[in-house]
Amino acid sequence: MISEIDRYAGLSSPIHRWDPRLRIISIIALIFSIVLLYDLSLIVISTIFAIILVYISKIPFSFILKRLKLVFLFVLPFFIIIPFTFTYTGVVIAHFGEIAVSYRGDESVLFAAMIVLKALTAVMLIFPMIGTSRIDITIKALEGLHLPNQLVQMFAFTYRYIFVLSDEFTRTERSLASRGFKRRTDMYTIVTISKSIAMLFVKSYERADRVFYAMRSKGYSGKIATLHEFNTRRQDWINTVVVLVFAIFLHVAAALEIFSTFGRSGGF
Amino acid sequence: MVHISDGILAPWLLGSGWVITVAILAYALSKMKIDDVPKLSVITAAVFVASLIHIQFGPTSVHFILNGFAGVMLGVLAYPCIFIALTMQFFLFQHGGLTTIGINTVNIGVPALVSYLIFRTGTGLSIRTKVGNTKHRMVLFGAIGGGLAVMLSLAFVAVELITTGEQFLETAVLVVGTHIPIIAVEAIFTGVIVGFFATVAPDLIHKR
Repeated sequence: MISEIDRYAGLSSPIHRWDPRLRIISIIALIFSIVLLYDLSLIVISTIFAIILVYISKIPFSFILKRLKLVFLFVLPFFIIIPFTFTYTGVVIAHFGEIAVSYRGDESVLFAAMIVLKALTAVMLIFPMIGTSRIDITIKALEGLHLPNQLVQMFAFTYRYIFVLSDEFTRTERSLASRGFKRRTDMYTIVTISKSIAMLFVKSYERADRVFYAMRSKGYSGKIATLHEFNTRRQDWINTVVVLVFAIFLHVAAALEIFSTFGRSGGF
Repeated sequence: MVHISDGILAPWLLGSGWVITVAILAYALSKMKIDDVPKLSVITAAVFVASLIHIQFGPTSVHFILNGFAGVMLGVLAYPCIFIALTMQFFLFQHGGLTTIGINTVNIGVPALVSYLIFRTGTGLSIRTKVGNTKHRMVLFGAIGGGLAVMLSLAFVAVELITTGEQFLETAVLVVGTHIPIIAVEAIFTGVIVGFFATVAPDLIHKR
């Protein structure tokens, strides 16, 4: 049901060797910079940059494409929804009784392309960002970045429990199915699923109690204890500077309109 | 579609989303002890897993949002839970977006807080009705809270899309339209689950 994002954390590449703290910060900055762009040609350039980062990280493209497919299905409707409208603004192309469908013009297609490309690029970048180190190292890095301790702890525990609970629910579902239960559109289905989720909560709540006492008795005090130590080398800073300079460059170029061959498309 | 992807909303909306989320998170974290972490995490994980369960509803398939439920169970602490759940959903499933975590947490978390307030006031009322006992009141106000939380979330998303630009008018209509069944499903769900807890494990429901 849930596949791990850190499946390829064991590979070796310059991105894998990059200090996770600096890696997370720089790629987050890059994603923000890309999302705030409103210039199609610069977005295309940043998509190419993202593809290069993925290539350097050696994470197989097939793995990423599988994940991108879902995102694509999510954002694809924009290509259909945005260019056409029910308000009488553009060129009317069809009538369905009282309702007219009109086309907003080529600009809106470019605008939709921008949205889809930005969403895909942002998602693509999270693979070099957190797919290149084991999740416990990533969580340790979050602590190193001075995120509030409670949040860091919650990330660690929640990540652990997601897998436990999804297994637990799969078992519940199997036992429901073996008694002949099928999901339909009726009250019975909703009530049955509600009750099985309720049972999932009760069970997991009791489990959390037991786990917490067990951890307390072994000396848990709310700190992450792993043997991994971070040390920042010169190469880490060079990587960081390259990514941050690119992120800043995008906005300088947008302000100077260097690459705006398509013009500033969209309604902004 | 309730979690908005990157690159859609106007920058000022993204910014104000982050400001509101950081403010509420700071408040909620000040109320939270490190001892609460394991329990909150389990509930966060359960909300996360439950939101992956799809129910066939006529032609469309809907999934739980469970924000009203989280509010009823956890009170103010529902907010950090929803923040964590949304962040994980982006990093593990690529649902939603990174820059939109702030505004998405507002969209889902603030209604959770509202539904908590309704539940607390509702169950605290000392109205004498035919079904005046605590369990029935809990079921009733749980259901109201669960349904209302989804409704508010949809309203937030629709308003944000439309203020971003009139290009998103149809998108807003589509998002709200496809999610209307969830309002009913969540209302029933929250009612059932609160009733279940009132019988099976009354100490699970937030009382502070």
